Amino acid sequence: MNGTLEKLDAALAGIQFDPELFPALRDKREKAFQVHQGLGIPTTKHEEWKYTSLRDLSEAYFVAAGPKQVSAEQLASTGYPGWECVQIVFVNGHYCEELSSPLQEQAGVEIRNLCCATKDPDPVFMDHFGSLIQPQKNTFAALNTVTFTCGAYIRIHKNVKAQKPVHIVNLSVPDYNDAVGYNAVRHLIIAEEGSEALVVESYLSIGEGKTLSNAAAEIFVAPNAQLEHVKIQRENIDAYHIANTEVRQERDSTFKTYGVTFGGKLTRNDLNVFLNGSNLHSRMDGIVVLSGQQHADNHTQLDHAFPHCDSFEVYKHVLRDKSRAVFNGKIYVHQDAQKTDAKQTNQTLLLSPDAAIDTKPQLEIFADDVKCTHGATVGYLDQAPLFYLQARGIPKEKAEAMMVYAFAADILERISDHKLVEGLEALLYEKLD
Amino acid sequence: MLEIQDLHASIDDKDILRGVSLTVKPGEIHAIMGPNGSGKSTLASIIAGRDDYEIKGGDILFEGESILEMAPEERAHAGLFLAFQYPVEIPGVSNLYFLRAAFNETRKARGEQELDSLKFMNLAKEKASLLGLDTSFFQRGVNEGFSGGEKKRNEIFQMAVLEPKFAVLDETDSGLDIDALKAVADGVNALRSADRGFLVITHYQRLLNYIVPDFVHILMDGKIVKSGGKELALELEANGYAPLEAELAGAR
Repeated sequence: MNGTLEKLDAALAGIQFDPELFPALRDKREKAFQVHQGLGIPTTKHEEWKYTSLRDLSEAYFVAAGPKQVSAEQLASTGYPGWECVQIVFVNGHYCEELSSPLQEQAGVEIRNLCCATKDPDPVFMDHFGSLIQPQKNTFAALNTVTFTCGAYIRIHKNVKAQKPVHIVNLSVPDYNDAVGYNAVRHLIIAEEGSEALVVESYLSIGEGKTLSNAAAEIFVAPNAQLEHVKIQRENIDAYHIANTEVRQERDSTFKTYGVTFGGKLTRNDLNVFLNGSNLHSRMDGIVVLSGQQHADNHTQLDHAFPHCDSFEVYKHVLRDKSRAVFNGKIYVHQDAQKTDAKQTNQTLLLSPDAAIDTKPQLEIFADDVKCTHGATVGYLDQAPLFYLQARGIPKEKAEAMMVYAFAADILERISDHKLVEGLEALLYEKLD
Repeated sequence: MLEIQDLHASIDDKDILRGVSLTVKPGEIHAIMGPNGSGKSTLASIIAGRDDYEIKGGDILFEGESILEMAPEERAHAGLFLAFQYPVEIPGVSNLYFLRAAFNETRKARGEQELDSLKFMNLAKEKASLLGLDTSFFQRGVNEGFSGGEKKRNEIFQMAVLEPKFAVLDETDSGLDIDALKAVADGVNALRSADRGFLVITHYQRLLNYIVPDFVHILMDGKIVKSGGKELALELEANGYAPLEAELAGAR
């Protein structure tokens, strides 16, 4: 292993492991601790990290970020105007009661923080927690299991339709001079049989400075449930963000997830969905808009294990300046997964000669009666629509901006909640301006 | 108002236009007919400002000024309009938003008052009803999922809203059924006026039954080989291009 990254490993290992923190989870956390010790931090020699280097972090000094004061006004200024939701707020990975909605507001939708949920854990919690995230597969998932300080536990009960969206707000508040503030949140989302909900995870910074957020979420979509999930990365320009999201979907269910990445210096998302039943529908869309020297890496995986399922995936990138992106989309179609219909699309707009993307579709198909397609396009703006707009009197620069906006907004507009879409579109407009 | 002077143009070193001259006065409708590959659409594209072509000689004057150095948007601001042969689909930009931007950019360039979204909506509705269009397409992406006929009608609708001084219709009739063709022609006829000029490029004489031209020109192999009144189109319809081709070959 690369010597400098050993230092990073050592620095991260210095983040305190407190075995007493969650007594109910002690075994799972200790196991993860052992595993993490053996895994180390991946270098670019690691196939899954080939295009994303953590070298920048190797000289960093990490501090476990503590709970900081954030005012309601500060939080409101980051929000999506007019969007009604139930929110649960974490500041540097610590639950913030003052900023969170009263958590028993919605009937049939249980929203708790992990600290509270683990004190008196119900069997459902214990059965699900840690059953999808496997520390041995991923060093940051292991590290998250060891170091998470809190997170959201959301359970939508059987046949309940959540009346309002649930918003998990994750705030990074840097204030550690040259040190990197480290935080780890861990979420558990369970949509029980026949239930319906929209759950949104937002990652934001309040103020300037370096942070590393190492987030993880486990999401369960029970038979016949319909869950829509949005993950929004809007952290500051010095923020490192690593997120592992593991999803398991059961028969007849629908899961739609949208990844929105506008912020951060370096963002790495691992999103794995296991299609564990037949006749289910999976959607996985993403929009990445980067500028300056931002870097974002999305690794997605869809596992088709049963027949008669479909999955549709569209990831779009808009890259300006010297920004870089990575897209790696795996689709496994297991031998039993006949009649699978899977389509993956990756489209990238390069708005500068210095911007770049590494895109890699990876389809492994072991069934013989399936429809699987993938396509990747990388390019500059199309000339025909540009000319059309110009010929109607729209100046070139404005015409280009309209087209870029439209390209990106296409993903946002797939989200069912119009107020949230409006808020995100305003942010997109700002980001492209 | 539009004066094309001995225009020569090529693409990828292939000569397409070999000396086209044409003058359209205010209030006139000129039709250009010609076989495939004769240079009709190239001429339309060059007037609108597409930069894929190399201008080897000649000039295009609009109201006495050369437009060849002007950007496409500047030509639009000056009052030129091209109804595209293949209108482009732009998903994600709504028809109404697009057209308001076009309308207001033109007004801005002319130092005129821009219209707010409510006033513009009223204007757009009024024009749509004149053309017998349902306004449900306003919020859809520009030409997104439109049929061929709907796209062409949308071009005419845009023209009605933007009220250009001079419009070039590039095969606006191609592929339309009779009803759609009538609708397109009605839209054009409604805009006919003493100070507005039209250049109608078409493959088929049929259109000229509905939009009656003052002059008809036949473009072959990059040159206007014959000009005349509307009866020229009927002659062409009856005999095809072959006699003309033979005549030209004989003259060589």
